[in-house]
Amino acid sequence: MVSAFGGARHFTYLYEAPTSAPGSIELENWVTWRRINDPEYTDQIDFRHELEFGVTDKFQVSVYLADWFYENDREHSGFAYSDSAVELIYNLTNPVDDPIGLSIYGEIKAGDRLVELESKLIAQKNLGPLIFAYNATIEAVWEEKELESREGEFSQAVGASYEISPRISAGIELLHEFVFPKWRDEEKIRNLFVGPNVSYRSGNWFVTVTALAQATDTDDEPDLQVRTIFGIGL
Amino acid sequence: MKKHLAIFAAAIVCLVDLSSCGTTSLAPPPVTAELARAGTHQHVDLATLREGRVLFVSRCIECHTLPAVSQHGATEWPRLIDEMAGRANLKSTERDAVLAYILVAHSQSR
Repeated sequence: MVSAFGGARHFTYLYEAPTSAPGSIELENWVTWRRINDPEYTDQIDFRHELEFGVTDKFQVSVYLADWFYENDREHSGFAYSDSAVELIYNLTNPVDDPIGLSIYGEIKAGDRLVELESKLIAQKNLGPLIFAYNATIEAVWEEKELESREGEFSQAVGASYEISPRISAGIELLHEFVFPKWRDEEKIRNLFVGPNVSYRSGNWFVTVTALAQATDTDDEPDLQVRTIFGIGL
Repeated sequence: MKKHLAIFAAAIVCLVDLSSCGTTSLAPPPVTAELARAGTHQHVDLATLREGRVLFVSRCIECHTLPAVSQHGATEWPRLIDEMAGRANLKSTERDAVLAYILVAHSQSR
């Protein structure tokens, strides 16, 4: 008997509209490597350990047990805990039968001098072996001592994935961010990232990898980032 | 920046455009009166056909896109469904409904 499985991801920077089967439990481990070259060279690796629960046919809950990271720059290197979070996704329409599959997403994150609220609209269309996805995300972040630093962000992402075989998919992801420090738009910070993805699934596990390069020229943003998500049904 | 927004706008237009055409031909066959009649001949009732289709288009896409019901032979489908029923957390009655729908739809696809 194969253990129930929350579902395989075809993308790593986008969410997909279908929710996990009721009663399923899945452990997902995320690893994201980021290389920043300007204004100074920095490597950071983020880790996330997430448990995903299918509650009903249309509703799933996830718990980020821990987000933590390793950072290496000229001045220091080391590991640090970042935050934990709860994420809820409710599916509204089906990406096969309905003109567009839609889901809504809410997340609350809290950690070391950090509180974050995130909402997302997830759209998806399946056409034969092709999956098209679009996410619009708005988030509010409070951080630093006494949470005095505020930041807002709107981002949108599009992706396409083609199923080469029942086990393998490949595609492209594009991420477009609008950052609002102090919830203002005076600095006009816009970031665009684009790159390929590949996904492999077998039995009750999957692995999906995306590499994104920055198409804009924003300091302090990754010039290259690679995200891997490994999921296994429990 | 306008160029970037244009790329996004084009991507969204493509997505909406694609969703408005050809969807029905790529989706699994709906449970029509004709399919229901075929089900009756195979001792499958209408409720089972409907439940099987709903489960097929919702649970199976959690991991992969949907194959055409004609993509595999009638003797292959039971093994394929059995392999994946556990992962999709299908109860035995749900597994039976999915298989019944696929086999009836398969018989009509020839």
